[in-house]
Amino acid sequence: MKKPLFRTLEAPQGVHMLGAIQRLDLAMRRYKSSEQVDYCIVGVGSAGGVLLQRLARAGFSVVGLEAGPFWDTERDWVSDEAGSYNLYWNELRITGGKDPLALGANNSGKGVGGGSVHWAGFTPRLHPSDFRVHSEDGVGVDWPISYDEIKPYYDLLEKEIPVSGPAYFPWGDPHGYPYGPHPMGGCGDIMIKGCTKLGIRVSIGGPVAILAGSHGDRPHCIYRGFCIQGCKVGAKQSTLISHVPDGLAHGAEIRDHCMASRINLGKDGRVTGVTYFDPNGHEVEQKAKAIIVCGYAIETPRLLLNSACPGHENGLANSSGTVGRYLMAQAGNVVLGRFEELVRMYKAPPAHALTEEFYETDPKRGFARGFAVQTVGPLPISFARQMMVAKGAWGWGMRQVMMDYNHWGAIALLGEILPWEDNRVELATEKDRNGIPVAKVTFNLHDNDKRMIEYGKNKVMEIMQAAGAEEVVQEARYAHLVGGARMGNDSRTSVVDKFGRTHDIPNLFVCDGSIMPTQGSANPGLTIQALAARTADYLISQQSEAFTGSTRGTKPPAIRYDLSPPDTWGKGVPRLT
Amino acid sequence: MPDPEHDGRPVNPQTGKPLPPLAQPGYYPRFSTLSQKEFWDEATRNLVLTRIEKIPPIRFFSPEEAHLMTAVCDRILPQDDRDEHHKIPIVNSIDERLYEDRLDGYRFDGMPTDQEAHRLGLQGIAEVAQHMFRKPFVDLSPLDQEAVLRTLHDGQPPAGHNIWGRMSVSRYWLLLVQDVVGAYYAHPFAWDEIGFGGPAYPRGYMRLEGGEPEPWEVNERRYAWAAPPGSPSAQFNPVGGSAEHKGSPGQGGTH
Repeated sequence: MKKPLFRTLEAPQGVHMLGAIQRLDLAMRRYKSSEQVDYCIVGVGSAGGVLLQRLARAGFSVVGLEAGPFWDTERDWVSDEAGSYNLYWNELRITGGKDPLALGANNSGKGVGGGSVHWAGFTPRLHPSDFRVHSEDGVGVDWPISYDEIKPYYDLLEKEIPVSGPAYFPWGDPHGYPYGPHPMGGCGDIMIKGCTKLGIRVSIGGPVAILAGSHGDRPHCIYRGFCIQGCKVGAKQSTLISHVPDGLAHGAEIRDHCMASRINLGKDGRVTGVTYFDPNGHEVEQKAKAIIVCGYAIETPRLLLNSACPGHENGLANSSGTVGRYLMAQAGNVVLGRFEELVRMYKAPPAHALTEEFYETDPKRGFARGFAVQTVGPLPISFARQMMVAKGAWGWGMRQVMMDYNHWGAIALLGEILPWEDNRVELATEKDRNGIPVAKVTFNLHDNDKRMIEYGKNKVMEIMQAAGAEEVVQEARYAHLVGGARMGNDSRTSVVDKFGRTHDIPNLFVCDGSIMPTQGSANPGLTIQALAARTADYLISQQSEAFTGSTRGTKPPAIRYDLSPPDTWGKGVPRLT
Repeated sequence: MPDPEHDGRPVNPQTGKPLPPLAQPGYYPRFSTLSQKEFWDEATRNLVLTRIEKIPPIRFFSPEEAHLMTAVCDRILPQDDRDEHHKIPIVNSIDERLYEDRLDGYRFDGMPTDQEAHRLGLQGIAEVAQHMFRKPFVDLSPLDQEAVLRTLHDGQPPAGHNIWGRMSVSRYWLLLVQDVVGAYYAHPFAWDEIGFGGPAYPRGYMRLEGGEPEPWEVNERRYAWAAPPGSPSAQFNPVGGSAEHKGSPGQGGTH
């Protein structure tokens, strides 16, 4: 065998590798818990990472509490499917309803970077119509903001991430991407072939949060296919590698392995701090002038509900009764096709081609809203579990179909399930290891959802057949989670206002996927990060008003182009923005 | 002629004769992911080598349960075509998960804990075996063992109703099968069998299209084989019987 080309990439103690090149000295600023900081952020994930970076850069004192580890990507992550189980929120949750959701590895991250550590990295924008689904289609609810209000933040985050994709992305509000598109893998070729045959436009090589060329101290993609196992390369963006280092450089502190158990309320009706279990299991309170909950669609409602106190018996910020309600997942049926020729779908990022041709409402289809079709690339264990359901495989049948793994390709539905009041997060009777009640998730599909899934699933199977698959099967599943603390103008039907400020408590904010009123058929990661940058600009513009809340500013903040991480500007050739 | 009732080995479909056990079944002769281990990063290499060299002891299952569970796993993922030196340990890694209480992040409403589900499930399988064949599961022929398990797969076990009244048989079946395939396809021998390239950092892949192999991968070379004649697991049927099993969403993350 030839000698390996690579030396060890592990860094000395006290220094973390964030990808193959970037090094982070963990000698960060430390605040005393008795010291009242400006902001305490609960959950350093997609939104929390961006907020922490922005607020620290603007000069505020910021402490981020993170239930999971502060990753060293070289030591903690592996190029191995089974060995990556610790990237996910694996603590107990109860899942029920008529159509229960799989949680854990399916949609929930744990550790600095949160879900952005294990996302596949698709970064489509929402369409302008997504912000007006009630006005246009009479379903769901309108957002309290329009597409035009979030658009500059899409432009900005696409540069900060940065996103690779085509020069012209034709759907929604057409735009282009700063880094060029990626080469195709086997599943992308299937998408092109099937879609082309059916006359469906398809975007190839992106948009994905994966570098097509090196960027600062992050290398380009090496096409190893382990995106959702955590990108050891540092090519796929997570806030861990794109925003957190800049936040720490500007004085933010992150406390990992710290599980928030409740938010404390003062006599004046303002929150005073967050109680959490430190890594040794001791309860500690961090005092803060304002608190931003960024725990995502299940842990955010859980924390608010677990923080019930006199005057807020149903949970903090829950006078509307909507905390935990209007939880959404996207339909994510995986369609698998067997081809005569080899595909080897484990190579290349799972996310690399998509179509949004069916995104908007088409009255002829018999349901409101629509869906996208995207490449996926299940590795062997996921593929076996899909075959277990899609074909009912076990025993010799399982061995047989798995020996054909390299002949199979996969593409998937990403369909818009609407927000329903009965899809919700509550507290279960079970408790976690710290004695905190765990979440109980209830999920039911409604008629419009079922019609969309049936139509969408058949369309994806049609594409697979048109690509030349000799056998086509599918597995029903869901992807992503949003909602549970939705934003709105009406305090009787929503939890937070259009900037993420809770209607009930002036210095308590929520910013993560849970504030999304509807979800479109776009993967939520980019929108979550864009909303976080916008909320950060709002908080900065409010200065101390954000802490006292004596007046509630309603004017959109000026966008701060000077708060981006290093290496954002002067890279790539942004087109059509 | 071997008695197909008592031989679990797959056969050559032309001759009907059992195939000899192999060091490496599958269509990628001499492909070895482990031969590339010097090209893997240190954390991945340590993890994978520990997985194959340090088999965790049985700590969760009782000796009787482990005996039965081994027989069950041998049919959920049969390895009769592998020689003794190349069998992949399955029960030990499931036992480790349950002993360490490593959850998947959720439990279906109405299901017991994963630990209790596995214990109850084994009791249920034992009862179905007694009901169908008046013998312990471990003493049955491979095909009879498959016949017992097939009733669970179909959601129609003819006995053990006290157990299936406490947990959904289809949810238990999916838990069992997903744990078993999770152990088998985590092993480099299984990667070699199916032609999966395995760990690929920091080197990466360069031949992304057309199913082309990397220089260190090999091309497919197929041979004909068939499951033991009459094997119930060789047919593909929906979990839970004729109607597609509702309410068991996909487990792994894909997008």
